[in-house]
Amino acid sequence: MDSRYKSFARRQTTLVTPFMLLAVLLVLSAARGPDLFTANGLDGAMIGAAPLVLGTLAITTIAIAGPAGVDLSIGPAMTLINIEIVIELPKVGITGPVAVFACAIGLGIALQVVIGAIVALLRVSTVVVTLAFYLFLDGLNTVLLPEPAGSAPDWLANWGSESHLLSPVLYTLVGSFVLWALISRTTFVRNVRLMGADARTAFVSGVRLVPTRIGAHVIAGVFVGLASIMYTGLLGSADPTAGSSYTLSAVTALIIGGASLTGGRAKGLGAVLGATDIWLISYVLGTFNFGLNASYWIEVATGGVLVVALLVGAFLANEDLARRWRIRMLRGNRSK
Amino acid sequence: MAILSKARTTLAYQGRATMAGVMLVVLVVLGSATVSGFWSLESLRANLLIASFLGIATIGQALCALVGGLDLSIAFVVGAANIALLRLMDGGIPVGFSIVIVLILAAAVGGLSGVISSNLRGATLVVTLGVGTALLGLVQILVSSSGVSGGTVEGNVPGWMQGLTSLNSPIGIAPCVIVWAVLAALTILFLRRTWIGRGLYAMGGNQVAAERALVPTRALWIFVFSVSAVMAAVAGMILLGFTGGGYSGVGDPYLFTTIAAVLIGGTSLVGGRGGYGLTVLGVLDLTVLQTILSGFSLSAAAQEAILGLLILPLAALYVRSPHPRMEI
Repeated sequence: MDSRYKSFARRQTTLVTPFMLLAVLLVLSAARGPDLFTANGLDGAMIGAAPLVLGTLAITTIAIAGPAGVDLSIGPAMTLINIEIVIELPKVGITGPVAVFACAIGLGIALQVVIGAIVALLRVSTVVVTLAFYLFLDGLNTVLLPEPAGSAPDWLANWGSESHLLSPVLYTLVGSFVLWALISRTTFVRNVRLMGADARTAFVSGVRLVPTRIGAHVIAGVFVGLASIMYTGLLGSADPTAGSSYTLSAVTALIIGGASLTGGRAKGLGAVLGATDIWLISYVLGTFNFGLNASYWIEVATGGVLVVALLVGAFLANEDLARRWRIRMLRGNRSK
Repeated sequence: MAILSKARTTLAYQGRATMAGVMLVVLVVLGSATVSGFWSLESLRANLLIASFLGIATIGQALCALVGGLDLSIAFVVGAANIALLRLMDGGIPVGFSIVIVLILAAAVGGLSGVISSNLRGATLVVTLGVGTALLGLVQILVSSSGVSGGTVEGNVPGWMQGLTSLNSPIGIAPCVIVWAVLAALTILFLRRTWIGRGLYAMGGNQVAAERALVPTRALWIFVFSVSAVMAAVAGMILLGFTGGGYSGVGDPYLFTTIAAVLIGGTSLVGGRGGYGLTVLGVLDLTVLQTILSGFSLSAAAQEAILGLLILPLAALYVRSPHPRMEI
């Protein structure tokens, strides 16, 4: 009973940080920019946060597959699919919703499968492979499209300016969450977790490491595709460079959401909360009049929050440290 | 069995050394075949100058890789030092004093990354990325004045700083190449001849064994990241003389090229093997490669993409982890 309670409590500690941060940020938003809580504001928030939310969900399975499973290529990957949707696909006559969804998800899967295959077969660390892909894709995007251009297909172009909540944006988001909920409960993802937590144990238990890792990247690819569609909807056009910054935001959101970089531990709910937090931070910062410095303040906040979240996560994960600290606090109180 | 595995390790290391050298020869032959004027004195001088910027920025990355970490904050520190120095000098603070301030701040920021990541070894990359981003954002805010964003800073760069990177100096090559040579020699000597240097190899090879041998691993870890930031700041300040104006994005190319240079130079990214001597070859390899790519009139973006593709096979050669089957 006791140990069951303990393990339950421990499972939930990773969500404490993102929930608390969310509460603080919601209060700040209510004070600084109450427009957020109107139908219009919420709708803007939804499409504004959606690319990051789905992008973070995408790299969550990769973090679970660990070790050091940080996908640094997510930003340029979303940008590449954005360019494909706006510039390349219309050239071959693909503009309908079903076809665009299929192509974007297909591209996402294709990219992730290549990364996954290299990581699984050559056994090179995910960080190094995705670092190389960041460089490759970032360069490729600018070669494909030197300047921002084009406009999204009609049905997608007005996603960024919808004014009622029951919009395709909401349906796509809810659909993605349902998909995640279903996928994350499969035996397959349980195997991915085992592999991430301890590859040796997984191997000895008969988990086939190569297909499992590539499979984790296939799941990631689906969400990369969905995130790119949201990003295109938000932007309404194609931009070769703006998307690269999603890498830092998504990794930060992942860490705030309590994912452990050693592998095996990451949650979809944590990722969604973390991404919402990141979006709220930039929203709250946006209500201050920083003028030319606005983007720099966002950099400072994102970088700072990333480091603090890492420290808090490490603290919560380390029971010894937490216990010692609690004891020290008690002693301090007593001496007073 | 032990002898066999030792022989294989030695061979593997020598293989790495040969590869960086062979690559340089191949690239130079390729360069002289495809780029007209490749062997001209101007071209060689320019190549050395460009290499010296990367070389200085890579010193820290090589040390970090030796202890099994990677520093992604180098690019940001280069940019931050670049704009901070010009702003300080423009604010009327004497040049020498400004340089010292920037160096001390860089050491402090690097030390901070080191302190934070020393308990989070698995997340070093993310820690340095976070610290770097926050630092550059903060410096950009600090140097911005009313109506002028902090991304670019204008001001007067002293003549001697511009002279550091001048190709027409009386000694034939740009003085900053000499600076690089001196720093490189010091780094190599430091790694081979001092107990701290040997300690870095020890902790990169086996953390626990190093601790048992009373190597102060935590202090050395922090020291290495501090040195890395200082070297990045030196590179950033020298680049100020080269470009003549402050630009926060000046370090962007160094985010990945420093890692690529370390990889080509055969330093294992998991730590314990390698050094700076071969990294110099890696730096030269990359510089010649970039000259060749520009010779084909490829854009900066295309060069970036090719560099990304190049890292993959190198990583496949150098930084593979063993199959779990081997670890049971």
